[in-house]
Amino acid sequence: MNSLAVIPSEAKRSRGCNSADGVRTLALVFCLAFGIVSSAIAQADAEFAKANQQFAQGDFKDAIAGYEGLVRTGQASANTFYDLGNAYFRAGDFGRAILNYQRALALEQHHPEATANLQLARDEARALEIQPGRAERYLHFASVNQYGITATVAFWIAVFCLTALIFARRRSAMLIFVSVCCLLALAISVFAIYTLDRGTKGQALAIVTGKDVQARLATADTAKSVLALPPGSEIKILSTRGDWTYAALPNDLRGWIPAKDAERVRL
Amino acid sequence: MRCRILLAVFAVVASAQFARADSPSVTAALSNSETMVGQTVDLQIKVTGPGDAQPPEEISINGLEIHATGQSRQFEMRNFATSSSVTYTYTVLPLRAGRFTIPPQTVHAGGRVLRTPELVLNVADSPSQPTTTRPSRGAQSQAAAARDLVFAELIVPKKTAYVGEIVPVQIRMGFDPRLRPSLIEPPEITGQGFTSQKLQQSGQTSETVNGRPYEVVTYKSAIAAARAGKFEIGPVKAKAQVIVPRRRPPPRTRSRSPFDLFDLDDPFSDPFFSNPFAQIGERRDVEIRSEQVQLDVKPLPPNAPPSFSGAIGNFAMATDAKPKSVQAGDPITVTTSITGRGNFDRVNAPVVEDERGWHKYPPSSKFKQDDEVGISGTKTFETVLSPNEKKQALPVLAFSYFDPAKEQYVTLRSEPIAITVQGGAAASQNVAASQPTPAATGRPAPAAVAASKPQDILYQLTDRGRTTESFAPIYVRPVFWVAQSIPLLGLLSFLIWKIRRTKINNREARRIAALQHEAAELMHKLRRKGATPQEYYAEASRVVQVKAALASGSREVQPNMVDAETAADTFKLDDSSRDQLRRLFEQSDEWQYSGAHNGPGRISPENRREVLELIENLR
Repeated sequence: MNSLAVIPSEAKRSRGCNSADGVRTLALVFCLAFGIVSSAIAQADAEFAKANQQFAQGDFKDAIAGYEGLVRTGQASANTFYDLGNAYFRAGDFGRAILNYQRALALEQHHPEATANLQLARDEARALEIQPGRAERYLHFASVNQYGITATVAFWIAVFCLTALIFARRRSAMLIFVSVCCLLALAISVFAIYTLDRGTKGQALAIVTGKDVQARLATADTAKSVLALPPGSEIKILSTRGDWTYAALPNDLRGWIPAKDAERVRL
Repeated sequence: MRCRILLAVFAVVASAQFARADSPSVTAALSNSETMVGQTVDLQIKVTGPGDAQPPEEISINGLEIHATGQSRQFEMRNFATSSSVTYTYTVLPLRAGRFTIPPQTVHAGGRVLRTPELVLNVADSPSQPTTTRPSRGAQSQAAAARDLVFAELIVPKKTAYVGEIVPVQIRMGFDPRLRPSLIEPPEITGQGFTSQKLQQSGQTSETVNGRPYEVVTYKSAIAAARAGKFEIGPVKAKAQVIVPRRRPPPRTRSRSPFDLFDLDDPFSDPFFSNPFAQIGERRDVEIRSEQVQLDVKPLPPNAPPSFSGAIGNFAMATDAKPKSVQAGDPITVTTSITGRGNFDRVNAPVVEDERGWHKYPPSSKFKQDDEVGISGTKTFETVLSPNEKKQALPVLAFSYFDPAKEQYVTLRSEPIAITVQGGAAASQNVAASQPTPAATGRPAPAAVAASKPQDILYQLTDRGRTTESFAPIYVRPVFWVAQSIPLLGLLSFLIWKIRRTKINNREARRIAALQHEAAELMHKLRRKGATPQEYYAEASRVVQVKAALASGSREVQPNMVDAETAADTFKLDDSSRDQLRRLFEQSDEWQYSGAHNGPGRISPENRREVLELIENLR
């Protein structure tokens, strides 16, 4: 009888031990993950500081390598791209300087330093810009992500209002008004996302990084030139064929340029 | 009388005319009295009169080969007089230089013997022996004979040109159609000191040259001398494959071919051409060469204008700009069209004469040619100009070229195009303002830097900021879709709650409907007169209970649980009505539970009316 009484208590104790072990393991894993993340952040901060120091000492080549290392490991931020752009600017590579300022602005649309330096680099390089359409110009006061959030919120409010309207015995004018407003906001936001994403500053935006780049009529070095593209010029990639990229160019032109001579802004 | 006289005069004149027409006459003429060795001329002997003239079959002159090549007959009527004439054509091929006299030839016509006049032919020595020059008869091979049936000719319309000037040239290549030629190597202009453009075939015609039919293929090109001096252009060389009949062993037994004009053992005298299956032909390669042409190339005069880029020819310029109203820093596309004739490969974009206050970007160009070789057409340049400051007109564009006809440089200038530039500083006149200043564009700029643009880039940022930011839009990130589960769950909860509420409401509605139906049924029974007191009071009390249950509303009171006091409270009755209701319930209980009633077996009409009034007033 005693032995029979002991068994459940052992089992209970055993279960309790297992549960405690699980919690401990979970806590350990959590602590480990936290430690790893903290260490990675600390290491990235150290690399960033080191690159900044190299920049300050005029060692732009090593500074560029340091910033690029951060980008490769996914530790990039708008400020990292901005500093990298500055390093390229000092190294005289205006094409890549403009590319990285654009990347900083793609991550943080209202980055005042990147905006100012981008303008200066463009003037130095005499880079060509693609002029956005009217709709794109007006819609550019907010970013794609902001429009995305607006669209999502408007969608859910509209869904809740419409559901309430379906179940309500009497149609509430307020509910109808809110539903219409939300649906309108949703439509405008979706249109804005589509326009901006496929526009001149959208996913296909690329920057000419090569020197003496000529946009050509066909995929051959001997093909007739369409437009000379200074470094830092904007293009919109339309398609890629082998080593050549077909792109929309400034001045409403289109042409083929070597794929190696341009890089997409959005990685 | 007068008519008879006129008739007689007409008869006399007509007979005189016929008499004149009957007397034959002969003339002879050379198509050209000056020629060169190997270059043929035509000798024509014209016999006017009866058609039975007998011209000389052979004219033998040392140094000339003369062969009859055909005859033609003409009829003519003039003032009622008809005449006929026969022209006999001979081809004269000089074999050597010198002065030759073709003596009078005897022609038998109309039974008379006529003599042609004496003719003189001056033959000059050929400067170079062209391929059409006939080699010695004895040594020539079949291939050589075939080579005689082709020719090439280089035509250069100008004898003098300037360095870089485009000179159009034409190449004519003739083949005897029976050769069925195919080009192995296309014609090529050889020579040094000039560049030539790609040859373009411009047509093919059938021509008769020196009495022989030829298929003549014409090519067009253009050349440009690279330096001054005298150049030998050509010869044009080409290689073709032709079909010639296989050589037959002597002795020669076949008849003379009509194509074998000069008895040169014409390969087409071979029966192969009359019956191709009788003998197999063979393909032979022949090289075709033309003569050289001299071109005197002069250097361009000095003191070329600054905007001269090497364009030589005759051009016109048109300019347009779009848009004409911009913000400072915005681009203006200036389209310039250079139209004309000349070396378009040296036509560069017009230069901006005064670039102060402007940013000029590299131009793009496209050329639309109007001819086969690209020496005439329109070259369009698109240049992007960006104003750095307020401007009222586009800068003047200048394009210079050398006009070889006028032998001087010409500079074309664009008309001032009015534009409106908004924003930016006003155009300053001093030299300091001509330094390129950064353009103020419409792009958003920070307030700190918008007022005065920095000349150097801004400082490094030491704060790394938020890390691991993604370029992907928010709607493609997994976290976005995971977050959508929160409002989705809220929506599902809301839906479940609403559906449950609806179901509950439906059950209550059904209960109320059943009670209302029951109350109506009972009222209908109460109004009937045949009911016993037991039934009547039972039904009356039940109606009260049902009505009280209906009146209870959301409290959901069951009818069986309603007694007289509950019903009175529900309907808020006064004391008399409350007593009546109490009595009604007591009587109902008595009839229900006592088994037999001491009162009358029927209900009086007064009692019935009283009960009905009480029940109907319960609201």
